[in-house]
This record gives sequence, structure tokens and C-alpha cells, in this order.
Amino acid sequence: MDFTFTEEQELAAQALRGLLDDHCTGADLRRAAEARSAEAFAAACAVRRERLKELGLAGVLVPDAAGGLGLAPIDVARLAEEAGRAALPEPLIDAEGVALPMLAKLAGAAGAAGTAGAAAARQALDAVLAQDATVLAVAPGSGPVAGVADADYLLVGRSPDELALHRRNALRVTPVDSVDPLRRLAAVEVADGVPLAVLQGPAARAAWEAAGARHAAFIAAQQLGLGARMIAIAVAYALDRKQFGKAIGANQAVKHALADAQMRVEFARPVIYTACAALDPIAPPDAAAALRVSHAFVAAADAADRAARAAIQVHGAMGYSWEVDLQFYAKRAWALAALAGGRSAHFGRLHRALLDGGLATGPDHLFDAGSASSRVAAASGAAPA
Amino acid sequence: MAIDLRYTDAHRALRAEARAWLEANVPRDPLPSFDTAEGFEAHRRWEAKLHSGRWSMVTWPQEFGGRGLDLIEWLIFEEEYYRVDAPFRVNQNGVFLFGPTLMEYGTPEQKARFLPRLAAGEDMWAQVWSEPQAGSDLAALRTTAVRDGDEYVINGHKIWSTRAVHADWGFALVRTDPASERHRGLSYIVFPLRTPGVRVRGIPQLDGKAGFAEIFFEDARVPVANLIGGEGQGWSIAMATAGFERGLMLRSPARFQRTAQRLVELYRREAGGGDPGIGAAVTQCWMDAEAYALATYMTASRLIAGGSIGAEASLNKVFWSELDVAMHRAALALLGARAELRAQGSEAAAAADEACRWMDGFLFSLAGPIYAGANEIQRNIIAERVLGLPKG
Repeated sequence: MDFTFTEEQELAAQALRGLLDDHCTGADLRRAAEARSAEAFAAACAVRRERLKELGLAGVLVPDAAGGLGLAPIDVARLAEEAGRAALPEPLIDAEGVALPMLAKLAGAAGAAGTAGAAAARQALDAVLAQDATVLAVAPGSGPVAGVADADYLLVGRSPDELALHRRNALRVTPVDSVDPLRRLAAVEVADGVPLAVLQGPAARAAWEAAGARHAAFIAAQQLGLGARMIAIAVAYALDRKQFGKAIGANQAVKHALADAQMRVEFARPVIYTACAALDPIAPPDAAAALRVSHAFVAAADAADRAARAAIQVHGAMGYSWEVDLQFYAKRAWALAALAGGRSAHFGRLHRALLDGGLATGPDHLFDAGSASSRVAAASGAAPA
Repeated sequence: MAIDLRYTDAHRALRAEARAWLEANVPRDPLPSFDTAEGFEAHRRWEAKLHSGRWSMVTWPQEFGGRGLDLIEWLIFEEEYYRVDAPFRVNQNGVFLFGPTLMEYGTPEQKARFLPRLAAGEDMWAQVWSEPQAGSDLAALRTTAVRDGDEYVINGHKIWSTRAVHADWGFALVRTDPASERHRGLSYIVFPLRTPGVRVRGIPQLDGKAGFAEIFFEDARVPVANLIGGEGQGWSIAMATAGFERGLMLRSPARFQRTAQRLVELYRREAGGGDPGIGAAVTQCWMDAEAYALATYMTASRLIAGGSIGAEASLNKVFWSELDVAMHRAALALLGARAELRAQGSEAAAAADEACRWMDGFLFSLAGPIYAGANEIQRNIIAERVLGLPKG
């Protein structure tokens, strides 16, 4: 039983934070947000994109044997937190945390029933691991997805029983505006085009299910970073802004609003880490891990929303203006809260499992002897050892 | 080190041992409230029983009657303790506040004198800090202890001392330097509550029982040997105690997980109570109880790895106290008109009655955001010492 991160995990997070502190400042975000064309947007992000490649994160969740780093979702948790903290415009976490393990699965499925084109998938995987190409996933039934217009490869499915790899330029990809100007959304039509590789049936379904859980867990981690960042921005403003001859941050009404936001962030944190620790890089979560992810998603979305609301209020009229960089973080938090099923669906899933589905509760069931699955099994009558 | 949320074999063995002992020894019927004379004595006997199984102070060193468990092991014990609804700890303030303080600041003689009796449930302790004019602003306290030979002569008026009506000893914060102001010149002194010159008057709480008391000192004489730490060191010792109080050990997460579990069971029995808002509230309560437990495991792990806990302990105190209120409010909403009914007959009948238990728990939960430093003060601490905002 240990609930501390390794030195390597801390160092990796610090390295990403250092990079983003230098190359993903509020001013950097503003330059990108106010870009008038896709080219201008790319130019505003170019230096950071190059630096991110140098970090050596490619294939973080891809197994060693497939040429990746062979790490686990918990290794990505702190990186996602840093990406959120900086409101990173690049879909780094979606690519590394969600799409790449799916591509690795597709590449590794050569010869299995219901598969085709594993060699092409292998080729794509190698190109992505070499950072010569990028890949993103568009879940079946998903709305527009950020960053797909710039990706070289897309993973799509006409239903959850299909996982198909396409070149992006073989699909119809239509840009869509987002309230968050840093999320370069595009809708993807999957009806046309012959896939480079395809996986069908239960294996595809499992891949999408696993990807959905990682997506939700890493969104939660990003929300954690966003919440902390918005509180920090509000604290800096409350120290600087003076009214009635003193810093507004000396007033209890301001203090208590920010203290409450801090509390929600800090009590979301262990839930998010626990959820990430319960996930496998590639396989879908068991029922208990899936519920942990839902809990993390709700707690994180609520914490980030609380932080956003408090931070905007602390800024007074400035908080309602385009001029304050706070908006980039708040809009990201609101956008993320609706993805990967969305906050309401995750809350509903918890509610049903808890109150109708018979999830075991009580003080001795927190980790249930190390096996997350036994928690649900115990509740449904299958007695654990 | 790496995140690995699995119990070891030793953890499982500890859990099994605790479970077996508790299931064999926890009183079959709930004990009457420890804010009554009858209930207090019943709880005192329970403390002695716990001690007989060496379960009364599991984190204390073995030489003082403990098991030397670390914080993760303590959490496991607490989970088993609340799982079977074992009685609340009447000597809470001795076990979790005075004991750790004495271990850190007491002389070997003082430790030998007080700790074994505390562990055995022979001495029950009350905190004697607040005064009518010194509540949140504790440093405004005025009760004096003036040195006279080998004794201190104490005069003043203390208030809101929990369980002081039936307890044996008090740990007080008093002014030993009459010329001093604020947090300077304070000392930490222990005294028997039944001492000439000490008058304890019970104050009925919301539930009508005298769960706390005011204490009048009129030339009460206490030996100098009862001074803990140095003269004038009282404030820093008291703040260390306050750290224990707000930190991990005052309210273990298992207590709230158990309440959340009872709430979920009540919700299922009542088939949702007809108000969709209650379902959302119950779900949120369960999530928060779970989050508090996970947060405590994370903090415990950090402390075991050599980390420390500072002002962020105030986050815990605000979180669990508001969660406790929310859980009881949801339960009362589910109970509807049954919530106001009192069980007929004895205190024991009230303790065993589900609706009474929720109502009594609700009334008690309202004290949570007030005691151990009001939540408004905690939020100031979070804002100033965690976030870095200026003092008001």
C-alpha cells in the first residue's frame, strides 16, 4: 500500500511543466486564440510543438515490445494534470493517452479473426512512434473532436464494434468552431473511405471501452490542473488588485470562495489518481475501475467549475472581459466537462451503481483487498474469497 | 515508491485480527449516550475492554500500551472499528489530542504517570481551552496560573469543555505571565477536574444533555509538575495539538464511510423517498466520503514516506464536517415525519432506534463546523497559509 508518486513520475511532470511554463504562457495562448487562420494558429504553436516532441513521451502507453515506453496510465496522470494546468492547445494527452494504445492494439492484432491490415497499422504506429506522424481517435457517435484536422491518421468506428484506421486526408473532416478558441474542432465523417486497417467485433468494442475510460480519466486529470491554475490566477489577482486601500484578497468573502475551490480540487485529486492507477494501458476497466473513473470525472469537473466560477468572480468586471487570460482555462474546463460521456452521464452511472446496482459500500470496501473487481462482485452476490 | 493501492499480507492479517476481536467484543446493543452519567461509565468500561485487547491506542508505542501501528494500519483498524458500529471513543480528546502532545512535549516522568492510565481507560481527559471572551480568538484568553512555591494558583473561567462533566482530567491553556499579551506568556497545564477551587458546571447541548461544561477556577492549586513543556511554551504546544485535531486522527474516514453506507441503505429501503434531489445528494455524499478516505490514505502514505502535514489539515476539517452535516440532512429528508420522534423509555432505546440515531447524529454534526476551530477560521487559514492571501 503506497500512495506516492515515483521520482521518475515527478521528474517527468516537472519537465513538462517547465516546458509549458516557457512555451504555453497566457500570452502564447492569446496569440493562438487570436490567430485568424489555421496557418497563423499553427505558427503561434510551432515552437511549442517542436519542444513537445523533444520530451520523449511518444508511445508512453505503448508496450515495450511494440516499440513504446511500456508505462501505465498512472504515469500519464501527472502529465495530463500539467497539460490541463497550461490549457495546452495540442492534443498531446488525447494522442498519447487515448489513441496510441488503440493503434498498438490494431497493429498487434495481425492474423486474428476480424482483423485486416495489421501491417499497415504497424507502419502507421512506427511512423507515430518516430514522431513523423500523428494519430487521434474519434469515438463512434462522437461529436467534433479537437485537433483532428491536423492529424495524419484517425481511428474511427461506424459502430462500437468497429475500430478502423484511416489516413485523415481520406476522410471528410470539417472544421467547427468551439467556444474554447484553442480547441480546433472538426467533425469527421466515417461513412466513406476504405480503412488501412480494421478490427471488428468484441475486440473493437473492448478497445473503444478502454479508450473511453482512459479519455475520461485523463480529462479528469486535466481538470485538476485547470482548477489549480485558475485558483492561482485568482490569488495573484486578489493580491494585486486594491480597493478600499487594501488588497481585495484580504477580504474573507474572497478568501472563503477560493478556499472552497481549493478544497474541491484537493479532494478530487486522490480520486483521480486512484482512477488512473486502476486502469490498464490497453485493456478495458473492470466495473469497479469504471466507477472510479466516473467518480473522478465528476469530482474533477465540479472542482474545475467551482474554481472557474470563483476565479471569474474574484476578477470582478475584468473576469467578464476577453482581456483576462483566465477565460482560456475556464472555457477549457467547461468544454472538457461535456466530453467522454459528460459529467451528467458519469454521475448517473454512479447513482445507478450505488443505489440500484448494489455497489458494496462501507469502510472495509475502499480497496477491497486489492482487487477492484471484487468490490462489485461482492455486491452482486458472488462472494469473494 | 510507486502508487500501489493493494494491502499487504500483514495488512490483511491485521484486519482479520481486528475484525475477529471486534466482532467478539463490541457490545451487542448500542451504548447509551456518553453525555449521560450512565452512558459515560458504560463507555469507560468499553475503553478498558479495548485496552484489554490492546486496541485502545493502536498507533502508540508498545511501552505505553499501544501496538506501534503506522497510519495505514491505523486506517485499517478504524475501518474495522466503524464497520461494526463500535462505540464512539469517549476519551477521544485524551487519545488523539493530549496523548500525542504528551508524547512529544512531556518529561519521562509525566509520560509514565499519565499515558498508561490514559491507555487503560482509567483517566478520561477534557480539553480546557476556550473562554467566554476567547473562542476563535484563543490568544485572547485570560485565565491565569501564578507560581507560588511548588504550585500554580489558577483563577479564571473556561467554557465549552467537551465531556468535562464526567471526565477526570483537563488539559488547559492558561496565562502564566500575567503581564503578557496574546500568544506570549501562555502555558500548558494539566489538572484533576475534581480539585478544590475547580467548579465544573455542565451546559446542555442541542440535544439537552450536558455534553460540554464551563469551568470556574477560584485559587485552584496545581503542582508545578503538571506543567507540560516549558513555561511560556503553551501556544506552540497548543498549536501542535490543534494540528493533530484538524489533521488526520480526530475523525477517521471510516466513520463517514460508515455513515454514508447507512445513508445508502436507508435510501434503498425508502426507495428514493420520491424526491430526485435526495438521490443526487446521497450520491454526492457517498462520493465525498470515498474521496475523504482516499485523501487520507494519500496523506498517510506521504507522512509514512517522511512528509509532513501543515495548514492543509484545515481542508480536511472543513471537508469532513460539512460532509457529516450533508449526510444527516439527506437521511432526515428520507425519514420524513419519523425524524422528529423520540424513542420511548431509556437512553439505550434512543441509541438503538434508527430514526433517533439519525436525528442525534444530525444535531451532533452541527457541532462539527464549529469545534476544533470554526470552519470560517479554517477557511482563513487555507486562504492565508495555503494560498498565500494577506491577513485581513
